[in-house]
Amino acid sequence: MIPGLLLLLAGCGEGAWLSRRSAGPTGGFLEANRQDPALSGQGRFLASVVERGGRATLLLQEQPSGTVIRLRHFQGHQPHSSPSLSWTGRYVAALVQQGTQRLPLIEDRATGALHRLPLPADRTAVRLSLAPDARRLAVQVAQEGQWRVQTFDLGGLLEPDLPGGVAIQGGGPGGPP
Amino acid sequence: MKRLVSATLLAGLLSGCMGAMPLPIGPLNRQLESLGANRDPSLSGRWLALISGKGGREQVLLVDLERQQPLPLPGLNRADAQPLSVSVDGAGERIALVRQLEGRTELVLYRRSLQSLQPIAMAPSGVPRQVQLQADGRQMAVQVSRAGLWQVDLVQIP
Repeated sequence: MIPGLLLLLAGCGEGAWLSRRSAGPTGGFLEANRQDPALSGQGRFLASVVERGGRATLLLQEQPSGTVIRLRHFQGHQPHSSPSLSWTGRYVAALVQQGTQRLPLIEDRATGALHRLPLPADRTAVRLSLAPDARRLAVQVAQEGQWRVQTFDLGGLLEPDLPGGVAIQGGGPGGPP
Repeated sequence: MKRLVSATLLAGLLSGCMGAMPLPIGPLNRQLESLGANRDPSLSGRWLALISGKGGREQVLLVDLERQQPLPLPGLNRADAQPLSVSVDGAGERIALVRQLEGRTELVLYRRSLQSLQPIAMAPSGVPRQVQLQADGRQMAVQVSRAGLWQVDLVQIP
């Protein structure tokens, strides 16, 4: 794959021609599939899921450099899926495997804190979306053979992450180097 | 109803044992429940976009979280199209959608104020599967299948 700085113009005779580029190398996993992309509010960070040792693993990168940002709490519990980022990238949310359940997990890169959202045993999380301001979380769950979307208020749990806030560098306090 | 009460109770109990916990937004969840089976949520600003199905047909819904009501999206949904992935920006103005239509999978960008729908070409050619708009609406990340690999394109929006 051509490195991510190459600009391409879209267009094959169908649809609009918009400027674009590939998200580029996957931090040493050049040939890996890359799925489930999620950008922070102003596009500075890209989260995606790549295959690492055959396991779907969350990857957070700064754009456009592709610099990999280490995460403290997503080192295990694969497969990871459905990442979502707040405005400045302070909060990283994704689904992880815990025992037999798929559960939402949120890492606060500013404080290093980890937040889990326990779900009743009869439902499994399928996808999630964290609001950019981190005030709400929406989770698609499978329950009794049907998909449902449930929303949660994070107001008592997380500080809001607003446009113009300071982007967090690196993995936060106590994180790996 | 029983399920919602038990979920709220569970969250309350866990909250007492483990400190602050996410709280289910009861009225909104009941409203969503009444719409049918829902999937692929996208939260941004005061908006929740999702794919909702009732009676075997799925369509894109945009819910205003402050009024807790779906808004009309004239020109976006088609009876013969199958939505696959949807995302809304923070202003609730742009909605990116991957859908299957007439045997093709396509990415389209809807502008709510204009009620316009713009197909976005894949280049190099590929099949889009998922899309996410960044909150300021200026760029979208698209998961694309090319030559048997999943790749991610970052597409600027003028």
